[in-house]
Amino acid sequence: MRRTIRVKTAIGADGYAPQGLKPAFLSMLNGTAESRALPKTHSASRWRQFVLLLACVIAMLPCSFSQAASPKGHDVLIKNATVMTVTHGNIKGGSIYVKDGKIAAVGEKVNAPAGTPVIDAGGKYVTPGIVDSHSHIALDDDVNEATSPITPHMMMKDAFDYQDKAIYRALAGGVTTSLLLHGSANMIGGQAIVIKHKYGLGRDELLFPNAPRSIKFASGENPKRVYGGRDQLPSTRMGNFAVQREALVQAQDYMKDWDAYNEKIKRGDKDATAPKRDLKLEALADILRGKLMVQIHCYRADEFLNEIAMAHEFGYKIRAFHHALEAYKVPEDLAKDNIGIATFADWWGYKQEAWDAIPWNAVIAMRKGVRVAIKSDSEDYTRRLNQEAAKTMRYGGATEEEALKMITLNAAWIVGVDNRVGSIDVGKDADLVIWDGYPLSSYGVPDKVLIDGEVFFDRSLPGLGMTKYREGQ
Amino acid sequence: MRNQWLVVSGRWPVKLSAVSSQLAAKCRSLAALGMTILMGAVVLIAQEKPVVLKGGRLLTVTHGVIENGVVVMQGGKITAVGAASTVNVPSGAQIVDATGMTVYPGLIDSESQLGLTEISAEAMTNDLVEMSDEIMPHMHTAEAFHAESALIPVARLNGITNAIIAPESGDTLPGQDSFIQLAGASANEMLMIRDLAMPLNFTGGERRNRGGFEKQKFPATRMGLAAQLRQAFLDAQDYKAKLADYERKKADAERDKKAPPLAPKRDLKLEALLPYLDGKKTIVLAAESPSDLETAVNLANEFKLKFVLNHISHSQPVLDYVASLKVPVIIGPIYQAPKDDERYDTVYSLPAELYKRGVKIVFASYSAHNVRNLPDQAGYATAFGLPYDEALKAITLNAAEVWGVADRLGSLDAGKTANVVVANGDPLDVKTDVKQVYIEGRAMPMTSRQTWLRDQYSK
Repeated sequence: MRRTIRVKTAIGADGYAPQGLKPAFLSMLNGTAESRALPKTHSASRWRQFVLLLACVIAMLPCSFSQAASPKGHDVLIKNATVMTVTHGNIKGGSIYVKDGKIAAVGEKVNAPAGTPVIDAGGKYVTPGIVDSHSHIALDDDVNEATSPITPHMMMKDAFDYQDKAIYRALAGGVTTSLLLHGSANMIGGQAIVIKHKYGLGRDELLFPNAPRSIKFASGENPKRVYGGRDQLPSTRMGNFAVQREALVQAQDYMKDWDAYNEKIKRGDKDATAPKRDLKLEALADILRGKLMVQIHCYRADEFLNEIAMAHEFGYKIRAFHHALEAYKVPEDLAKDNIGIATFADWWGYKQEAWDAIPWNAVIAMRKGVRVAIKSDSEDYTRRLNQEAAKTMRYGGATEEEALKMITLNAAWIVGVDNRVGSIDVGKDADLVIWDGYPLSSYGVPDKVLIDGEVFFDRSLPGLGMTKYREGQ
Repeated sequence: MRNQWLVVSGRWPVKLSAVSSQLAAKCRSLAALGMTILMGAVVLIAQEKPVVLKGGRLLTVTHGVIENGVVVMQGGKITAVGAASTVNVPSGAQIVDATGMTVYPGLIDSESQLGLTEISAEAMTNDLVEMSDEIMPHMHTAEAFHAESALIPVARLNGITNAIIAPESGDTLPGQDSFIQLAGASANEMLMIRDLAMPLNFTGGERRNRGGFEKQKFPATRMGLAAQLRQAFLDAQDYKAKLADYERKKADAERDKKAPPLAPKRDLKLEALLPYLDGKKTIVLAAESPSDLETAVNLANEFKLKFVLNHISHSQPVLDYVASLKVPVIIGPIYQAPKDDERYDTVYSLPAELYKRGVKIVFASYSAHNVRNLPDQAGYATAFGLPYDEALKAITLNAAEVWGVADRLGSLDAGKTANVVVANGDPLDVKTDVKQVYIEGRAMPMTSRQTWLRDQYSK
């Protein structure tokens, strides 16, 4: 393969950044406080419900730590569209009324106040904005802190280059939300950020408000290669898992130290000294406390099983396996633990652990109850994820809605924002793509892309086709 | 044993799906015999019985679309193509009902690394490019081509029947291309044409000797690359002159009954350059930006090389100049990222822009594992202005013309090799599934290592 589209065997990591040194649980609570206002919560993981409860309390407190202002004031009526809702079928000649950046109504006929700006879709298809559940764009190559196999305290937000044109090019391909992950050099990498592709705005305006935190794990060849290549631990899969287990044991010890201290304080022991704060152990403890969604780069069937066993051993949940090219071999094991996969449509053969990859993977796993997302892991493929999703219709016979779900709602679930984006439902963010051509084909190209009800990309505009971006920015 | 793969026996006429399922059944029963049968090589015994594809939508490429058409394949060739009412079906033919199917010529990938790699990250499975020197014209991809590669059936399943095998672009002159057919019992059978072309890479950003001053070795700059290239062709000219001189002296000696002169020492590198210097074979001239393009073209013209262009992904400002060269262009791939100051569709629309200027275009996968996605690129180019027929031509007839095989390949025409694809729809759409591939009139087993894995795990 020529240098231009050389397969990226790159090694990534992810992490949703809490704000600076603020104790991580505060940003969690904020995140859930916002979701409380929405009509439905798709994900039902227990920790979220628990946090939701706490959030009710926190919401009443004066909050100064909210991450970014929520989108406001964008009203628009899109009419004369074939609306592909993802959750309740297609609506021909449909309309979507957006109020304050949220979907306020969708259907054949909707009531919008007079004077609402109108976009006539001219019969074109409208889908939810695409969610890329595995991306390393806009990190200015700071994807891997490959100096230690355990770096959970790396915050991708600290590397986030919000001016990276890759954000724009993905937007022009219909992507509105991306999970920017740490690389896969480390068994436990850093914490991801979730962005909205509001290219042209300021850094904090691109951060998905109050998105839950994710941490990137990796397994298999990449950690082996990186550290084994330096004659360090790990250089084998045994080494990989030993390093991971060792780190989690340290986190348990750290938590015990804090528990003991808190216990002393509770008893009124004035001489109690607080354990030294350790960012790395704090982050690992947050995994065990269920405050971080665990996103694991993992290829082989045996490694899924080992990672699942490790999660059981330490009592955390795995949100998704990424790449997951052998999911078709053990789909039941993934489905049983409600673990999603973020996979490629048809990449294969770029390394030994990708040798058994088959393009039917996504559909076989889906039919066995696994929540499947198609992701890019690529600055290139993120620009046409719609085509990648369409391949699942060919390889295994996914329906149109199933295929679309793999780059919208399912991807949003993996990112933890499925109650906010990923379908055209009342109450959700108005992240929408109007397509020239049928989106699940070689011919679908975004005509306009809206985020929170605002047009950010318009193909008909000259220059870059951007509404918010100024040349030279 | 492997011959059994090709015995498409049974009761005719049958539906295509039945052909596939019979083959699939054979696969399963044979799978126990070992995985080697799922590798590239397929014994191509001569087509015995005429095969007639009946009722399909024919995309002929040369003479439009024929609804409810008939293709007759006999003796490995297409013997008739036309509307059902106009074609005589030979007696004793195997009739395949292609109703509802789209039938088109086998697709041609104008640059791939099939057979040169198995697993990208595993060095011992790679024979992609010799990195010991920039000037390596005596490297023959034909001598590394691995007919049994598991990648070949994967590509074939999606209707790619022929491909250029090129070395990777790490060297300025990395060696010579071959043209293959994706079926045959051995490399000898699959290699249709050896050494038919040679890449000349002048993609200035790609300089492996660049680096800190302390690490630099020649050639580390465009100046160095150009000087080295020029010297190589000058040396070849000199070599040619010496050979000619020798031949002359030898003839003189024979005539004068004198002792023959000493033959010049054979130089494999320079020898390899001679057919290109003589304009007998095609140089595939790769450049990206206008400045590199013009430097490379000037160099090629200096030595009167016959060339086609490759990539030119960032040469949008000089497309009129490109058109004035009147040579075909292997494009992109169109998935090349635009430069940071360029619009998102700058490279997507390059095929349309070149077509508008009358340039003959072809597509390439520039890949090994992803050869199967070759038609997607052609399809996507139509979303950015390339007419559909031209997109299809760019992976069929245009490619056949560029590589000098249009008498045999690239369209559904009587007399051409029966490389024919039957699919359930538009060949350029990612959703379309190929149902049956014929190479030299033989139904290919629609199996690969991947379908075998699929079948193992989806029971």
